[in-house]
Amino acid sequence: MSELDRRDFLKLVGVGAGAAATACAEPVEKLVPYVEQPESITPGIAVWYASTCTECPAACGLHVRTREGRPVKLEGNPDHPINQGKLCARGQASLGRTYLPDRYAQPMIAGVNGALEASTWDDATARLGAKLESARGRTWILGGSVGPSLGGVIDEFAAAAGAQRMTYEPFAHEALRRGTEAVFGVASLPIFDPGKADLIVDLGSDFLSAGLSPTESARQYSDARNVNVHKSGGTRMISFGPRLNFTTTSADQWIPAKAGSESGIAFALANAVLAAKGAPEGADAAGIERFLSGANLSRAAKEADVSPGELAAVAEALLHAKNPLILPPGVAYTGSRATSTAAAVMLTNALLGAVGTSVAIPPAPAGPAPASLAELKNLIAAMKGGQVDVLLIHDSNPVYSLPAELGFAEALGSVDTVVSFASLRDETAESSSMVLPDHTPMESWGDSAPRPGIRSIVQPTVRPLLDTRALGDTLLELGRGLGGAMPEGPFRKVVENNWSDVNWRQALARGGVFTETAIAPVEISGDLSGLGAEAPSLKGNGDFTLVAFPHHFLADGRGAALPWLQEIPDPVTKLQWNSWVEMSFGTAEKLGVGFGDVVQVATAAGTLEASVFPRGGIRDDTIAIPIGQGHSIGRYASMEGEGEPGGWIKGPVGSEGQPGVPRGANVMAILPAAQDELGGRVWLGTRAAVAKTGRFRRLALAQWTDNQRGRELAQAASLAQLSGHGDDHGGGHGAHHNEPPHTFTAAYDADPDQPYRWGMAIDNDRCNGCSACVAACYVENNIPVVGETQSIQHRDMAWIRIERYVGDGDLEGGAARRPVPNREKLGELDVRYIPMPCQQCGAAPCEAVCPTLATYHNKEGLNGMVYNRCAGTRYCANNCVYKVRRFNYFDYGNENFPGLLGLMLNPDVTVRQQGVMEKCSFCVQRIEDARQPAKDEGRDIRDGEVQTACQQACPTHAITFGNLRDKTSKVVAASDHPERSYHLLQELNTRSAITYLAQVTRDENEGNH
Amino acid sequence: MAPPATAVADSLASPDRPRDSRANIDIMAPTKGVQWPYFLALGAAVLGVLQALIVLLYQTYVGLGVAGYQQPVFWGVYIVTFVFWIGIGHAGTLISAILFLFRAKWRNAVNRGAEALTVFAVITAALFPILHLGRIWKLYFLIPYPNQRALWVNFKSPLLWDVFAISTYASISIVFFYIGLIPDIAIARDRATGVKKAVYTVLALGWQGTGPQWKAHSRSVLHLSGLATPLVLSVHSVVSWDFAMSIVPGWHATIFAPYFVAGAVFGGFAMVVNIMIPVRRIFRLERYLTDYHFENMSRFILLTSTICGYAYAAEYFIAWYSGVEFEQSSFWLRAFGPYWLSTWCMITFNVIFPQLLWIKKLRTNLPFLFGLCFFINLGMWFERYVIIITSLSREYISGSWGLYVISPVELSILAGSFCWFSMWFLLFLKVFPVIAITEVKELEIHARDHGGAH
Repeated sequence: MSELDRRDFLKLVGVGAGAAATACAEPVEKLVPYVEQPESITPGIAVWYASTCTECPAACGLHVRTREGRPVKLEGNPDHPINQGKLCARGQASLGRTYLPDRYAQPMIAGVNGALEASTWDDATARLGAKLESARGRTWILGGSVGPSLGGVIDEFAAAAGAQRMTYEPFAHEALRRGTEAVFGVASLPIFDPGKADLIVDLGSDFLSAGLSPTESARQYSDARNVNVHKSGGTRMISFGPRLNFTTTSADQWIPAKAGSESGIAFALANAVLAAKGAPEGADAAGIERFLSGANLSRAAKEADVSPGELAAVAEALLHAKNPLILPPGVAYTGSRATSTAAAVMLTNALLGAVGTSVAIPPAPAGPAPASLAELKNLIAAMKGGQVDVLLIHDSNPVYSLPAELGFAEALGSVDTVVSFASLRDETAESSSMVLPDHTPMESWGDSAPRPGIRSIVQPTVRPLLDTRALGDTLLELGRGLGGAMPEGPFRKVVENNWSDVNWRQALARGGVFTETAIAPVEISGDLSGLGAEAPSLKGNGDFTLVAFPHHFLADGRGAALPWLQEIPDPVTKLQWNSWVEMSFGTAEKLGVGFGDVVQVATAAGTLEASVFPRGGIRDDTIAIPIGQGHSIGRYASMEGEGEPGGWIKGPVGSEGQPGVPRGANVMAILPAAQDELGGRVWLGTRAAVAKTGRFRRLALAQWTDNQRGRELAQAASLAQLSGHGDDHGGGHGAHHNEPPHTFTAAYDADPDQPYRWGMAIDNDRCNGCSACVAACYVENNIPVVGETQSIQHRDMAWIRIERYVGDGDLEGGAARRPVPNREKLGELDVRYIPMPCQQCGAAPCEAVCPTLATYHNKEGLNGMVYNRCAGTRYCANNCVYKVRRFNYFDYGNENFPGLLGLMLNPDVTVRQQGVMEKCSFCVQRIEDARQPAKDEGRDIRDGEVQTACQQACPTHAITFGNLRDKTSKVVAASDHPERSYHLLQELNTRSAITYLAQVTRDENEGNH
Repeated sequence: MAPPATAVADSLASPDRPRDSRANIDIMAPTKGVQWPYFLALGAAVLGVLQALIVLLYQTYVGLGVAGYQQPVFWGVYIVTFVFWIGIGHAGTLISAILFLFRAKWRNAVNRGAEALTVFAVITAALFPILHLGRIWKLYFLIPYPNQRALWVNFKSPLLWDVFAISTYASISIVFFYIGLIPDIAIARDRATGVKKAVYTVLALGWQGTGPQWKAHSRSVLHLSGLATPLVLSVHSVVSWDFAMSIVPGWHATIFAPYFVAGAVFGGFAMVVNIMIPVRRIFRLERYLTDYHFENMSRFILLTSTICGYAYAAEYFIAWYSGVEFEQSSFWLRAFGPYWLSTWCMITFNVIFPQLLWIKKLRTNLPFLFGLCFFINLGMWFERYVIIITSLSREYISGSWGLYVISPVELSILAGSFCWFSMWFLLFLKVFPVIAITEVKELEIHARDHGGAH
């Protein structure tokens, strides 16, 4: 990189010549036509394939957009019943796995010094085959959840090799599975449909972020709260938890119960419901009573540090709601009594009649359930005891994600041959003796059967870019070598054969087979013995309960390799790129620390250091640290690629990157290896002591403040205002939108002789802040990721961001040098999200001031941006009142798509040069895409034919895009809610083309009865 | 403000006043021979320019990210310094043109230095809008030139007005400076030998001091003064519109044009004083640059400082009176936000300190004046810093507020600009007389003819 290449040389020449403007800065590249034109590829025309997302077990359907043989964008499959065309940020970013610089280019075998060295497939498989031969009965296969076809191959291989298979998922939801089994006798994960409930009591599930199927749940929940349909505001949610988490920000009431009190609350509510409803017929009434005995509301309230009245009101509300639903604690609140808690919750759901409406209990899935912590401990003991000769690890990173206390990394040393099938470098692969890299999901065949009636296919959309081999094929070959009865043909054939019951080609085209399968009702027929209302315990000492919660994007850490997920701000805290320790302002004051001060967090299992993020939305007795950071391997996951762009000449000395230095801290390393009553992994299991270190490490915080200073940026309307009785409630909730200071018609702001004025409607009430739109925008528009150093300097390049404000705000603050969002208050909820793309103003301040007309108003009302004409005066960005313009401070277009990442670029969107301004274009390339067929057919572009990337991704349908001149268009209809529609900063007369719909504040008293 | 034209003549009429030839000798003296302190100073200035040039190449090659820019502050020290230098460039034309038209004869002793300062300040200032561009190599995009792609510039953009305003001002300033120099170049020519003589001969354009030449010369000066006078007002007005025409709270104010012009004259005079005091001392020009000149300049400084003070107050009043929270917050945070120190420096240096000039003794106390003007220059730089940075950092969308921190690269180029300016001024000192000899003689003649009447 530090060598002077031709481009750099020309640039230097250009610099030297100065104003003589040699215009040599752009490299000349030649277009080379195909020698033989592939049949299915027309250059310039996208080809779409249906596939399945493998980022999380929800298994959303994908439509993969490929251009010239390369996948460039993932979208949801509209036919797929789970995500119905939508895709979350993790799914959007997962495309990058195929192109990351972290990929293994070929098989690797550890040399004499233990370092991995490049090898060949023949050599590697021969060596491994010999090892496996001699290690019969002493081979283990450890890996993440996989689809049925691959699972079948693994099982067959295991049989051939005499191996034992263990499935390992860090977030296995064991407690919920076993709790469900205890109540219903079916060991499966329930399917929740929050849309079918009218009251949700959430015991810290965080189901919209870290739940079982977040994209689906977000859609269901927001549909059920659609105020255009449900005039009373729709479904209400009461959320418990010591910190304001992602899901709680979308609730109507937040009860800040102590961490660990979920169990007591669950049992108390169950008892209250049992007392009112009685045990159902045929159930073991005595067993249930014994199970719930000892729990009552007042004691639970006391333990949870909430008012007894409040808790009693929740119980009342549950009993009075038509379709109540209670959601069990999520990963973050999985305590030492998690199984009992989950059982109590599922029992309550059954007693309330939710099972069968908003809860379905599917039959237990085929294949092994993820191993519990107890089983993993056995494996590690066996490894340490020298009983494991070969350990094959696929689709998981146990070195990183198992509690350090278990000593998995050390135990690997006692295993003769550790084989990793990772396609990306990670901690486990790097400590293996052999890496046989798997294809990435974009290159692989596979399938998935997430629930009854839904089977979907993973199909490759690009030829393998590197010398990798599908795990299925590797195992088939090894199994055959061992003389096993492996299925015929390559793995692709195995998948196809498994689908022989349906029309393969049709299924392939559609993405799978989706049928409405009724899930058989279940009875309360399980065995509750061994479970009960015993209070969970915390290990260790210290003043605080340590809550380790799944990061919204990084999940169990598997997202950390994807730079987009690192850079897109966490929706709740707006922090990027690193670990943080959440604590209350009171706690921070007591410790004498503030934003960015590094503290040491110590538990019985270890210590970590991270910067403080003080916030109002967390209890004084709790600290919280996100799971997912602290990787020591990976260009983006660790500090390896961090530094100024471009190497030595581009930044301070030593900023080339710091290989091996972890990014942030891995909280899993300091969690004790505790297990719950049935052996499940405990996440909420320890107390922690916090000590000031005296050092400061600035966190990248994307948003300066959550105080909107009464500027009515993110407005709110009460239900009363919606129904036209706004006068009573007008005061605090942005009442101005009934009387806009200037009225205008956005549809006029375009050439009158043509049919379009593109515009958008954004329903803030439907936006839950999930940031799928942001990720979609990054991928669609070739937006560079700038890294932590640059993010700290507020130089992110996002074309759409989600601003998060709390309440109407006041004139406090603003003078601070260190930004701290500080509007949250314990137990109060008024979080407002407002997605902020370019407003495509009719009277755009940016256009008037550009000296070169690089930004201009086009005929269809868009603020065009001609990158080639931009000289970089940046006046437009100063004058943009919405602050949506982004500047290429460095040569991001070249430097920030290293290696294969350049192949991921969308060919329809220009990659921007150093020194030019850029911004949201309303996905003008998609408009142009739709224009050609319309022109061919001699018609106008139809409503809905153009979907912007953000709109397409939005799981809650918050964004509507279309032609404002078409009075029948969806965007006009969506904007037409005068009681809550407004234009942002309308008083400035920028004539924004985006209509926002104010968030609705549902009176919490109404939710309770 | 019209001082008696005989004031200078009075001083010249004192017993030890120089004879005509003495004026020539005295004022031409600095151009004769060079001592090592001069070389040291010039060498330092050239080194300063070179380091800035290298840093600029680095910035151009790598990208503007090496400067302190961040969302939402897209303009920084470069634009601050641009406005600062443009402001400095005002005193020269004001002294040369406006005071000429007002027949303020006392200006004759300082106008040469002030004009030189103007020219060098403008060529320094003009660098900054260029080197702050994201793509310097696309500079020509800002110039309307006919091209086959039919690309045109945006005449609505204040930045384009800047291009014209600055280039016009620079050309008029240079012509004015040169026309005024011609008779003095002739004097230099007459005393020079060798190559120098040849160069001066060409530059003197055949000046012989004949009656028709003098007639043409004085008419040119008169007409150019007429041309330059509106420019004094227009250039900084246009520069102020870079801000006033925007929608940024803290920028969008009608007071900006007069406010900036007053500030520019203020800062320009301060710079003239700051430069002329050492020049007078080092080159022993006390006879020509008298206390009287400095007192007059002090009065100007006092007047314009008060106008600035009024403008500051008016800005705050209007922000409050508008009832617009955006404006109110912007100004409140200007004074009490993260940049409070800059703001209070600005107010203290520009408004409070100069009020001391009400005291007559201080107006002629040169060490005091020198220190005061140094602080005024600092204050004027801070004024632009406050206007640009604080306003941008606290705009409409409070979630998108930010903080700008100067980077080492910007500091180096800022320092380089002072070196660049000093380099030109030092070269000027050795090449041309720093005081207009002929104009001083004119005063002397005036004094001789009318002295008795006084």
